[in-house]
Amino acid sequence: MSGDALPIAEIWVYLSGSPLAALVLTLGAYWLGLTIYERSARNPLANPVLIAVMLVAIMINLLDMPYAKYFEGAQFVHFLLGTATVSLAIPIFKGWGSLRGRLFGLTGALAAGGIASVVTALGLGRLFGLDQMLIGGLYAKSVTAPIAMGIAERIGVSPTLTAIFAVSTGILGAVLGRYVLDLLKIKAWWQRGFALGVASHGIGTSRAFSVHPQAGTYASLGMGLHGIVGAVLIPYAFDRFLR
Amino acid sequence: MIQGLVKLFLFQAVGEVVSKFLLPFIPGPVIGLVLLLGFLVVRQQIPSDIDLVGSSILAHLGLLFVPASVGVVLFLPQLRAHAAGLAATLTLSVIATIGVTSLFLKAVGSNPSGDQDVR
Repeated sequence: MSGDALPIAEIWVYLSGSPLAALVLTLGAYWLGLTIYERSARNPLANPVLIAVMLVAIMINLLDMPYAKYFEGAQFVHFLLGTATVSLAIPIFKGWGSLRGRLFGLTGALAAGGIASVVTALGLGRLFGLDQMLIGGLYAKSVTAPIAMGIAERIGVSPTLTAIFAVSTGILGAVLGRYVLDLLKIKAWWQRGFALGVASHGIGTSRAFSVHPQAGTYASLGMGLHGIVGAVLIPYAFDRFLR
Repeated sequence: MIQGLVKLFLFQAVGEVVSKFLLPFIPGPVIGLVLLLGFLVVRQQIPSDIDLVGSSILAHLGLLFVPASVGVVLFLPQLRAHAAGLAATLTLSVIATIGVTSLFLKAVGSNPSGDQDVR
């Protein structure tokens, strides 16, 4: 047979010109990330997003595919971020009943936590000599990634850095949360959950659900409210105080 | 399933339009979120088609921010140069956020029956 006539290189050139290559790469890497995450008994350090991002980054480097080219295909996945943001109304609504009688406590805690997140990040970032571009990515890091990226676009900082810092913050909160909360002697599950949701959004929330259902409900409420309030107040504060 | 997707797209589209013409500093999808939340609160329940599609999308939320996050390859030199400072900033800031939020709740929060504590 004419095995040598099989032009692998040409097939690759054809495939990499269509969105298929980037889509298969993205979905395949995420699938592998999920598998590793499940095998590790859902250890927050084996975060599937982080694994997928590293795999795709390595692969496009090996394939010599520029990022812009990769994104051309992967944008079909990226597009659904907006739809996912809209869908966040579902978990917020499910936790809505828990708001009753606690509205003051929860909104106050959200405001305190949201301010603490931005102020400590900017202060520490300056203290450690980070450059302006990196600091820009810190503004929305405690907001759930899809909304954080929308905020980043609005205030003109890098959505990519924001996404990376948001995912890292989620992982750090999910890993460190219980130690901080134990140290501060926070005993009520709803308080523990809400704090995790406000500080470390989706990743903290899934951690909270795996520990206790009530913690999970309050965590998704904290994540959702921080998303909405952050989307309004972070661009506003940025405009008022930083320009 | 298609109905649910169409409804979510509609809320998203209305959000984008409102953002574009009325509230340019709020991202369109967030306005869509608030509109959908208002709709659910008025209805007092989640239509099953929206629940089905929305919950499936949220179950794989992580996948959706992979494409943008891979853009990290463009920032590697800066991230490497500031790796220690960034790690310290992110770690201390998340600890402060968890601490401040939970201490506020502990200070003002009632703890009526029906709630459960650790142990």
